Amino acid sequence: MQKSQTVQVTNMDTYIDQLPAFAETIKSIKEIIIANIVFIGQVPSPTFKEKKRTSIFMERLSEAQVDECTTDGYRNPIGIISGTSKTKPPIFIVAHLDTHFSRDVDHNFTVKEDAIIGAGILDNSVGVGVLASLPEIFRKLDLRFESDIVLAGVIQSLGKGNLRGVRHLLKTWSTPIRGALCIEGGEIGRLNYYSDGMIRAEIDCTMSTNSRWEQRFRPNAILILNEVINQILKLRLPQRPRARVIFGKISGGYKHGIIAYDAKLGFEIQSDSDKMVKTIYNDIQDIINGISHENSVGLTMKTISNLRPSKLRYNHPLIKNTTAVMEKLDIKPISEPSESELSIFLSRKIPAITLGITHGENYHLENAKMEIEPMFKGIAHIIGVIMAIDRGVCDE
Amino acid sequence: MNKNWLKQNTFHYSEFKDIDRLVKEKTRKNLSIALCLPTLNEEKTIAKEILIMKSELMTRYPLLDELIVIDSGSTDNTRKIAEDYGAEVYKADDILPNLEVFKGKGENLWKALYVTKSDIIVYLDADIKNIHHRFVYALVGPLLLSDNIKFSKAFYDRPIATGKSKIRPTGGGRVTELVIRPMFSLFFPELTQIMQPLSGEYAGFREIFEKIPFPIGYGVETSMILDIYEKWGLDVMAQVDLVKRIHRNQDTKALGRMAFIILKTFCNRIEKLGLVNINRDLFNKMIQYNLVKNEYQPDIFKIEGVERPPIVEIAEYREKFNIQDL
Repeated sequence: MQKSQTVQVTNMDTYIDQLPAFAETIKSIKEIIIANIVFIGQVPSPTFKEKKRTSIFMERLSEAQVDECTTDGYRNPIGIISGTSKTKPPIFIVAHLDTHFSRDVDHNFTVKEDAIIGAGILDNSVGVGVLASLPEIFRKLDLRFESDIVLAGVIQSLGKGNLRGVRHLLKTWSTPIRGALCIEGGEIGRLNYYSDGMIRAEIDCTMSTNSRWEQRFRPNAILILNEVINQILKLRLPQRPRARVIFGKISGGYKHGIIAYDAKLGFEIQSDSDKMVKTIYNDIQDIINGISHENSVGLTMKTISNLRPSKLRYNHPLIKNTTAVMEKLDIKPISEPSESELSIFLSRKIPAITLGITHGENYHLENAKMEIEPMFKGIAHIIGVIMAIDRGVCDE
Repeated sequence: MNKNWLKQNTFHYSEFKDIDRLVKEKTRKNLSIALCLPTLNEEKTIAKEILIMKSELMTRYPLLDELIVIDSGSTDNTRKIAEDYGAEVYKADDILPNLEVFKGKGENLWKALYVTKSDIIVYLDADIKNIHHRFVYALVGPLLLSDNIKFSKAFYDRPIATGKSKIRPTGGGRVTELVIRPMFSLFFPELTQIMQPLSGEYAGFREIFEKIPFPIGYGVETSMILDIYEKWGLDVMAQVDLVKRIHRNQDTKALGRMAFIILKTFCNRIEKLGLVNINRDLFNKMIQYNLVKNEYQPDIFKIEGVERPPIVEIAEYREKFNIQDL
């Protein structure tokens, strides 16, 4: 294999200065990276049904000749690239394997001159494809690390998956972890280092089908949920601690001329205060109890997942170094809370951040589109952060 | 009828999954392999085919020595995209410019023999949505691992992309079942063992391809099988199960035109072989009808039925490959 440059890691500036050149070298193997994105991303992988994508991911890692390729007890696929040090803890790089799309959606991607289009490409086939390409990229850049690099495609992250894959991976990992990097398809520039507290829940409204009312006087499940929404909107949410309720999903009814006998509302409560999340949750529970009683309807709230707030402090060396890496590559950092794998690392006191790889549009639609050109810079900044962690920025 | 052929010469792609072994065999036999993609307005699929083949069969494993695109004059970005992703791109009209110019897939395949140098040529259609490198390594597998097989042909399930991002699980192969298989059953029962004679994916040795004529259009697959069968017999052929190929569904009228061309090629061949005597020239127009404002109007599709001779008969080819005598 052609060696492009050997990295002598001596001080912060020397490796940061090499990052723009890294982007060019990474681009020279673009067909390998895109092939990985396509091979993995074209395999449907709805949450709880990631088995096939897991196999392809492992096949690609094994083709890339990682030192170890296995699954943990929860079937999260993992590749390990051995480090030069026997004492330094491993660095984790993770990307979630599941997508929002069911199996019957066409997952065949269209590759254009400057973009790849297809279901789930941004969330998170790019992330997983790049993860599988890292061994080849390290070889191309002639990079060796002191720490073992653990490449983990985690399953059951989204929605009802409730981050089970990464939770299990960390729960059963027996040794300390030096630092972690979560990678997502987009947007390049995101620098997530804190997670809000969150409860994700669903409210179900159901009517008995053999109700004593005549059909035209039966309460309407959709209108009941409408009332629930109105009362939640009347809650006075504080500015500090930050708090909000996001209504993300709604469904219900049978057909146009029939009063809806069931309806479902999906929402999240988010706040940087765990206490505030719980308070709002209890308020919503009271609203539901009241409306249920007043209208004699079945109204239940079910928690799908929850997270406690966690964060790295802004002046943590990992954040400072990541910002420097981004600036070197002309990437403008944008920080927002992220309720993802990141939360699980941070809640276990493992320094971690989430980065995005490229720009895109139509994120969660079947015609989601990722831009190819920014991806090389996106990968370069991921490499820069791995190098920073390997040089000890998380070893406080 | 050789009923053993189906058993002995039918393979599954997974039998050739060990690409390293194929590369070693290629090196031991001192062979080179070219992949040719004939195109006409394939900007949606061409990039993926090229980059996957380059990544898996050129960069990771040096199985392919050449990757060329021969374009019939696309009006979209096919040629530019193919170049950007690293294929060698030719306009069919620019190859052998002293010859009369024709348009068609068969023309591109024939001209690929002139521009490539390799001993083995793999032909793939450029519109495969679920492209995978097995489409190439599985086709060259029998050619490299066997000493007798000179030509291999793909077969697969054929799900149809029905638009709106949905895929129907089965279907396709209508022209095969309604036209080719009945004709094979009537005249060449042995050839019915070939599951998908019309598949656009096949590979073979130059020494075979250069000695057979190429119809310029859709009839090329039919004539190729008949000519190879006639000259070298069924045993030099193999078929490989590639499991699944997703393609865009064609309407019945388009398939009707395809069937017309194939039938014409077939009739010419069986007459040439003396199997039938057709006492008059066949017409070269396919006539279909459309109902327009309560009137039936003919839609006439003219096919000249031009055929390129075996390329080994072309002087420029003999000169390039230093062939003295026929």
